[in-house]
Parts: sequence; structure tokens; C-alpha cells
Amino acid sequence: MILDPLILVTAGVCLLAGVGLYGLLASRNLIKLIVAMQILTKAAVLALVAAGAASGRINLSQSLAITVIVVDTVVAAVGLALGVQVRKRFGSLDAANLASLRR
Amino acid sequence: MTITIPLLLIALPLAGSPLAYLAGRAARSPFLARWTARLILLMTWIPWILLMRESQTAHTVNPFFTLQDLTLSIDGLSLLISGVTLALATLVAFYSGAYIKGEEGEEKYYALLLSLTGAIIGLGCAVDLLNLWLWFEAMTVSTLFLVAFYRKEQASLEAGVKYLVQSAAGSALILLGIALVFGTTGTLSLPDLPGILANNPNKLVLMASGALFITGFGIKAALVPLHTWLPDAHAQAPSGISAMLSGVVIEAGLIALLRVLLPLAFLSGIWGPILLGAGALNMLLGNLLALRQTQVKRMLAFSSLAHIGYMLLGIGAAMAFLQPAAMSGAFFHLITHMLMKGLAFLAVGALLHALFLSRGHHAHLTVADLNGAATRYPLAAGCLATALLALGGLPPLAGFMSKWQIFLGAAQTLNPWILGLVVFAALNSVLSLAYYAPVVNAMYRKEPSDAVREGNPVAFSMAAPLAVMAILVILLGVVPTLAAPLSTAAADVFAALGVTNGMVP
Amino acid sequence: MVPAVILLTILFPWTGALLVSITGDSRPRLQHFLAVLFSAVSGAFAIVLLLNTLPVWEGIVPAWVATDPYFSIPLGGAFGNVSFMADGLGVYLAAIAAVIGSLAILFSVDYMRGEKQLGRYYAYILLFIGAMTGLVLTTNMLFLFFFWEITALCSYVLISFNNDDPKAVAGGIKALIVTQLGGVGLLLGALLAYTVLGTYEIGVFIEKAPLAIPAFGLSIAAFGFLVAAAAKSAQFPFQTWLPDAMEAPTPVSALIHAATMVNAGVYLLARFFPAFEGVPGWKEAVIAVGVITALLAAFMALVATDLKRVLAYSTVSQLGYMVYGIGAGGIFASQVHLLSHSVFKALLFLGAGAVIHSIATRDMREMGGLGKKMPFTQIAFIIGALALAGIPPLNGFWSKELVLESGLVDGPRTAYYLMLFGAGLTAVYTFRMVAMVFFGKPRSEQHGHDAGLAMKISLGLLALGACATWLFTGRFGALLAGTLPLHSIHFLGVKELALELFTAKATYLALAVVALGLLIGWQRERLTGLVSLLRIPAGWARDSFGFEWINRRISAAVRGSAGGLSHTQTGQLNWNIAGILLGLVILLILMALGS
Repeated sequence: MILDPLILVTAGVCLLAGVGLYGLLASRNLIKLIVAMQILTKAAVLALVAAGAASGRINLSQSLAITVIVVDTVVAAVGLALGVQVRKRFGSLDAANLASLRR
Repeated sequence: MTITIPLLLIALPLAGSPLAYLAGRAARSPFLARWTARLILLMTWIPWILLMRESQTAHTVNPFFTLQDLTLSIDGLSLLISGVTLALATLVAFYSGAYIKGEEGEEKYYALLLSLTGAIIGLGCAVDLLNLWLWFEAMTVSTLFLVAFYRKEQASLEAGVKYLVQSAAGSALILLGIALVFGTTGTLSLPDLPGILANNPNKLVLMASGALFITGFGIKAALVPLHTWLPDAHAQAPSGISAMLSGVVIEAGLIALLRVLLPLAFLSGIWGPILLGAGALNMLLGNLLALRQTQVKRMLAFSSLAHIGYMLLGIGAAMAFLQPAAMSGAFFHLITHMLMKGLAFLAVGALLHALFLSRGHHAHLTVADLNGAATRYPLAAGCLATALLALGGLPPLAGFMSKWQIFLGAAQTLNPWILGLVVFAALNSVLSLAYYAPVVNAMYRKEPSDAVREGNPVAFSMAAPLAVMAILVILLGVVPTLAAPLSTAAADVFAALGVTNGMVP
Repeated sequence: MVPAVILLTILFPWTGALLVSITGDSRPRLQHFLAVLFSAVSGAFAIVLLLNTLPVWEGIVPAWVATDPYFSIPLGGAFGNVSFMADGLGVYLAAIAAVIGSLAILFSVDYMRGEKQLGRYYAYILLFIGAMTGLVLTTNMLFLFFFWEITALCSYVLISFNNDDPKAVAGGIKALIVTQLGGVGLLLGALLAYTVLGTYEIGVFIEKAPLAIPAFGLSIAAFGFLVAAAAKSAQFPFQTWLPDAMEAPTPVSALIHAATMVNAGVYLLARFFPAFEGVPGWKEAVIAVGVITALLAAFMALVATDLKRVLAYSTVSQLGYMVYGIGAGGIFASQVHLLSHSVFKALLFLGAGAVIHSIATRDMREMGGLGKKMPFTQIAFIIGALALAGIPPLNGFWSKELVLESGLVDGPRTAYYLMLFGAGLTAVYTFRMVAMVFFGKPRSEQHGHDAGLAMKISLGLLALGACATWLFTGRFGALLAGTLPLHSIHFLGVKELALELFTAKATYLALAVVALGLLIGWQRERLTGLVSLLRIPAGWARDSFGFEWINRRISAAVRGSAGGLSHTQTGQLNWNIAGILLGLVILLILMALGS
């Protein structure tokens, strides 16, 4: 049986997205949360590239992917900066401490 | 149309952003940063007014930037959201002078306020999926620093983290949605989509992309149950930013959602009912959660959920039954909500600043702190009372008229379910008075609380924007048609799309 | 000229409101002066409007009496035209609002002397006067609703004027929420009307609605309006807000909660009567609401011990008579009673205000023997009380007989007897109230003094009104009949009325019941057997027949569910993400089902 590469890529997207979402759902460490965020976004980037391949507009999709990666890196940097501040003020990176605002 | 005017509309605040930062840094005083921001925002009004006048004569979509599938254009929706954003940002820039004075990173505040404004204007002009996502991210990143502006306060860091993680999750979901659309249709351009969608075999995939878009943009637009970041961020941000978040940013999420859902409406009629359901949930949950809040800013934050619900009622009824009147009602409410909620947050902020912040005390403002506020702060208390009663939908204030227009537009569908929802919304509006009114009562007590007695005076630069907004809230309540050019032009975008393409109702 | 006068009647008090607020609380004398000036001028304008209709009184019907609005300001879009018309129903209610409004403000000069935050007090009374005038003069349903809600806003602010008192705050918010709940009915009706007819014009609606609107839609509108009217006029099952509204300063109770705003519901029913009379079950429902309210409230008045609450229950009960009259088709009768009631109840409230101002309590058990200390107030109050009880020749007698008569002729017989019984109850509680306040021995140490000059002027003018308004009954009828062609109003001149009433057996029956009531009220101390027999129902009446309990339960249920829901805001990031995933999953399922 010859596997259609598109199916493989789709499976990869699903896997990455699943891992990312699970990470967001289950991790309590801020760094792990940011990593999970990254994985989820990378799933999306992979999906964009695959979409370009599927629709035959690979050029557009590649420039799209690069743009997304750049922007995503900015977001990650911002997140890490925030993490630094959290470590400084709370003394730990445990997201469970960040639950004073409720009700 | 010349390309320069709309480009200026976006570029002025974006270019002004680093300018304000550098000016503040170079002069080692926030004075220059503050005035750069104010002047840039005032200058941005010029292209906006020119474009508004042009749109009165020619009701066409005007793309002013195209590169392959990527398009920026000016239409009713972009004018609406950019006008609303500019108005609030200008007022906030003047208001924040006294509010932010002396805080660390003042020049960043103004720089980010400008970039936030530019990002939302860009988002309003985006009519392709990539631009939509890019400007959306720009908006998120700009607001993030502003939410966590008091970075020495644990609570504001907490709000920032939640905002970041949930927004990022949303943006990834949007990207997945974009990939699905792009993969099945081969285009990113939203205006091209309806024609391609008509006979597309991958209906299920496209529908799934719709679900991803609703979730992704819905996080920013605070649809229940995606709303959980909102009360934290609104309550912890500096009050000017709370006003921006509640008055503009969540509405920008709604506009972006509308941009992608309108073409997808050619696929299925499911979007209208989904938005109606979300609206009902938002109204109920928002009002009930606000009911027991004692922190004023948090209460206002929850009430934003309810107001998004009223807008969704209009938009959903319009999409489900091709009823542009309901859509223009929703857009009118978007305008009045910006004024009312902006005013409420700014007035609460003025009191918070006078009672606590100016005395170096980062505390939550509770309803009990406001006891007797009117005795010492008649203007700020009067403005807050006006805003709250307007939000509760009492005439002669703006909220009454905009809710009326939504209800009327929805009732014109003559569908019994929608009529039921209108009654539900009206009952919700009555329920909301149960938490707005006690705040008003507290402020007009004769015995001031200790906090009020010891508070500092409110600066003129903070009081003046309040007075302007209060006058506008009353004016729009008496002459509601003043906002019609903006709200109907935006609704025309929807009507034109529906009429020319024979949308699936 | 008329458009200008209408606008001035509305805008003059509003300008006054603005000026009073700008003046600031540091200059109370100027505030008193401005308030009196602007309300008096507005009252004068309202009287000009009334006089403008003089030809109709003489039987000449001018050309403007059509369904067309007198004049309108186009707003466009979904908001229609702001249109006004000075027809019979409108001008006389406007005159009541503006004239009694200026008397209440005049009374306040004495009553509110030395109070803090006078600016807010006067500003909202003036805002109210303008809104009430607008409410009765506008012919646009949107603006009817607009003014309707402004009056609710003013009522709320003024009830809780003394915000330091938790009871006042609770009363204000309760009044606001209950009337707003009812307002939803008006909203729905108006929305349907615009959707079907494409206009907000009341005239067009009355003329075309019975044919143009499908039966089901018309029923929704009819019963929606009934709900709105019941909430505004404190009718069953919404009656509980009015007694709690008595925390307001007394001039406010006299103006808003006796003479004007609470009549808005009755006005609404009267105004729209021709459109809805054909709706199956509607007239019967109106009669039922009126009868139930009139009796329940009369019972409660019988056992209440707070002077203002007795008056409030009595107001609710009398409003029940008006609603009953409308249900029986007696528009004219109900409007005459509305006019009489506005005058004598404002008189009673202001008299009560003078008493409360003088001895600083509202509890009747601490009063007694006040007649010697306040002779002027006593006379004025007794005139009002006799009018309330329905003793000839005061205005209350004529109008109550008219209502009962139209009920006897066109309404069900059972309802008539129940209302007759209610008239007896009215006499009992009126007697009890007067006796407890002014007669007998003082029951506590009091340093009473009689009313001040401004108070006396207001009381005197209203007492004069209570003696004299019935003389205009015929002309008033001609005015209504001439300007409201669709209402098919039958009216009688004073002479015919007197002839008819004094030759009818029913009148003597009613008078006998009233006399019996007065007798029971007089001898109530001796009728121990009767009193002990009625102990249990009296207990129910003190508990407001369970309606307060229902209110509390609803409020507790809403607050309870809010408390429960607040647990969904966990503040935990992971749970927040779970919420997002839940949303996504629900949407994906909906997509799978929907495609």
C-alpha cells in the first residue's frame, strides 16, 4: 500500500495539535505551557504547508509559513519575558500559583 | 481612490508607535511620548474623515493594497471599527496622562497604545485570511504588555499570562482553520471565497474550519465558554486599557469573526443559529456572574460578556434571516457600547486613581469604597452613573436606543424563536440593572467612605474625556440617528454580500 | 403655536433640571427658586394646551382631530418620527402632571428645607415632569416607551433619594426592576406593531391593528401591554413595589406614586382600548386584574400601620377601580376617576407629608389627637379622605359612582358586587386612618406644628380641586369624545349625571355600603367579634398575601444560581483551556450534525 503523503502530513498535524492541546490542558509549568503553545502553532504551520501542497499553491503557502513562524517567535519571546517576571515576583513558574483571580 | 489616504490611516499610528517610544527615551521624560501619541492620534483622524466622506458618495469596496491573494480594503466595516478605535484611543491618550504619570515604562504605554490602534485599524481593513491573522496577532501582542503593565503586581502578571496562553491557543486554532480553507479552496482571499464555495465537495472540512474560526476569534470576542481570560485582563489592566479592551478589542474579535463567517454563510445556514445560541449564553452568564461581584472593574468586565451577547443577537438574527436591520442594530450597539463601557471604565479608573493609585496603593475598587463618592467627586460619579444606567438600557441614554434597534431588527424576522430571544434579552437587560443600580445608589450616599474622604482630587485631563463621553452618551440617546452613517454603512457590507450572491439563509 | 407649547411643556422642566444641577448644592435657595419657577411655567404651558382645546369642550371639533399626529420631527431609520398630539387624553394628563408637579415642588420648599443633595432631588422631579408630559402627548410608540422608562428612572432615583437607608435603596431598585419587567411587554407589543405596520404611530395602530395584525400577534401585543400597565400601575401581580416605594420623600410619593406615573398604566390601557377590545379574553383579564387588585390592596390598607403605606395600598386599590372601569369599557368613567384620584390622593399624601414632617414618624400608632395641633392640615386631609371614601359632593363620589355604574351596565355582575364591597372596605380604612391620625388621645410625646406657608398653599389648592373638579365632568367628557373618535366615548353633562345618579338605585346601594363601612370604621373597637373572626385573613393581608414571599424567592433563586455559576470562573489556566476545548468540541459536533 502506498501512503498518500498528504495523509501522512495530516496525521502529523493531528498528532502535533493533540500534543500541544494536551500540554496546554495538563501542564502547570509556565515554560511547558509555552512549549505546548509552540507545538500547537507548529502543527498549524505544518498544516499550512500541506494546504499549499494540496491546493497547488506551494509558493504562497511557504511564505505564509515563514511569516507565521516569525510572528510566533515574537509571541514566544513575549511569553518568556512574562515568564521571567513571573519567576521574579512569584518565586516559581508553577501556573497553579496564578489562580488568585477567580469567581 | 488614491492609495495614500487609507495607507496613512494604518501607517500613522504604527509609525508613531516607535516614534513615541524613542521620543520618550531620548528626552528621558514621558512628556514627549505622551504628546507624540496624542498628536499622532489626532492626525490619524484626517485620513479617517476623508475616507468617511468618500464612502458617503461611493458605496463600493475599495481595495487599496493587493499582492496575490492578500488584500487590504476600506469598506463600511473597516470604517466602523477604525472610527470606534480612533475615538476611544484618542480619549484614552488624553485621559492616561495623569493616570499613568510616574509609573515605570510610561513611554512604552503610549507606544503600545498607538500600535494597538494601528493593529485594529489594519484588522478592520483586512479582507484576506493571512492579513486577518497577522493584524489579529499584532493586536494581541500590543495588548499583552498593556494588560501586564503593572509588572510588579502579581495579579496583573497573572492576568497577562492567562491572556497570552489563551490568545495563543486561539491564534493556533485560527491558523488551522486557515489551512483547511486554503487547502480545499486554494485561496486566501475572502471576497473570492463565495464563488469557490458554491460547489465545493469538501463541505465538511470547510464547516470544521468555521468551527475553528469561531473558537479562535471567539476567544478574543469572549464567547462563553471561551471568555475566561476576560474578567482577569479587564480588571487588572490600567483603566484606560480596560476601556480599550472592553470597548474595542473584543469587538475587533467580533468583526474579524464576521469577516470570515460572511463568506462561509454561502456554505450553510448554521452560523446564524450558532451565534444566536452563543449570544443567549453570553447574556445569561455575563449578567449572572456580574450580579455578585463586589469589585467594580470585574463587574464591568462580566457585563461586557452580556453586551457582546446583545450584539450577537443582532448579528445572529441578521445572518440567520438575511435581516440587515438587525446587523445595523448590532453595529450601533458596538458604537454605543464603546462609549458607555469606555466611559464606565474611565470613570471607575478616575475614582480608583483618586482613591488608591495616586496614594501609591494598588487595590481593587469595591462598591463599598464608592460610598458617597458623589459628595467629593460629583463629575466622575455622575459620569459613572450615566454610563451604568446607559448600559442598563435606560433612556435618555445611548444604550436604550441601540438595544431597541437590535430588538427591532431581530423582531422584524417575525420568527417566534427570535421573538423569544428578544424577550430573553430584554429580561436580561432588566436583570443587569440589579447590579448597575446598587453602584449608583452607593455613590449617592450622603456619608462618604473613608477612602473617599481621604482621596486625592481628579485631574482635569482625566475629567475632560469623561465629560465628553458622557455628553456623547446622552446625545446618542436622544438623537440616535447621528451614528447611523457608520452603523448602516457597515451593515451594507453584509447586505450587499447577501443580495449579490443570493446567500443561503 | 401648539407644537411650540408642547415642546416647551416638556423642555422647560428639563432645562430647569439642568440649571438646578449646574447651580450646585451650595446654593439651596436658588435651587428652590429655580425648581418652583420652571415647574410653575411648565404648569402654565400645560394649562395653555388644555385651554387650546376649549372649542371641543363646546362641541366644536376642529380639523386636527384625526389620527394624524399634530406635528413630528423625523429621526429616520428604525426610530420613526418623534411626533406629538394634543388630544383630550393627552392634554388633561399633561395638565395633571405639570400642575400637580408644580404644587409638589412648591410643597417641597418647606418639606425639603435643609436637606442635602437638593440638586439631585429637584433635577429628577423636573426631569420626571417633562417625561410624564411627553409620555402622554407623544403618538410614537418608541417614544412612548422612551418616556415611560425615563419616568421609571426618575421614580427609582427619587425613591432611593436617601441612599443611606438600605430600605430606601431596596425600594428604589425593586420599583425599577418590577416596572422594567413589565416594560418588556410594552417593548414586545411596540416591536410587533412596527414590524407589521411599518410605523410607530399610535393612531395608525389603533385604526389598523385589529385587521392588519394576525390574531396571535395582536393577542401578544394586547396582553404584553396589559402586563406593562399592571407593572406600572402596581396592579396584580406586580403590586408589591408601590408600598415599598413609600421610602421616597413624601412630595415624590404624592406626585409620582399617587397622581401621575402610576396612572401611566391606566393611560396605556385607555389609549389602546379600541385596538385590543376585540382580542378574546382581554377585557375579562383587565377586569379580573382590576377587581383582584382593588380588593387585595383594600384589605392590606385595612391592617397597615404606616400612614404612607395605607395611602399606597389605597392608591393601588383605586387604580384597580380604574383598570376595572376600562375593562368594562368605561373609558370615560375611568378617566374621570383618574382625574379625581390624582387630586385627592395628592392632597392626602401632601397632608400626610405635613404630618410626617411635623412629628417625624410615619407610624399611625404613635399619632392621634393631631387635629388640635394642625387644624389646617386636618381639614385638608379630611376633605381628601371623604373624597376617597366616596362621599358626595366631593369629586371621588362622582367618579367612583361612574366607574361602578359602567361596571354594572357592561361588566359581569359578580365583579360589580365585589367592587361594591371594595367601596365599603375603602370607607372602613379611610375612617380608621383619619381617626388614628387626627382624633383620640395623643399616643406619644409629640411636638407637632402645623404646615408652613408653601405647604398650606399646595394643600389648599388641592383641597379646592377635590371639591370642584367634578363640576367639569361634562366638558371633560366632550373633550374626550371630540378628540378620540375611535374610542366611542359616551359621556354625560353634570346635570344629566346628577339626575341619573340620584335616580338610580345602585347609587343609594353604594352609598349605603359606604355608610356601613364608615360605621364599621367608627365602631371598630367595639366589634371584637368581627375583628377576631378576621384575625387570620388579617394576618394574610399583613404578609401581603404571600406576594412578598414570592418576590423574595425569585430574588434568592437568581442570586443563588449566580453564586453557583461563579464557580465556573476557576481562575486556573488549565480549566480555562478546558473551556476553550469544550467550546471547540461542541462546535465541531454541531458542524457534523449540521452539514
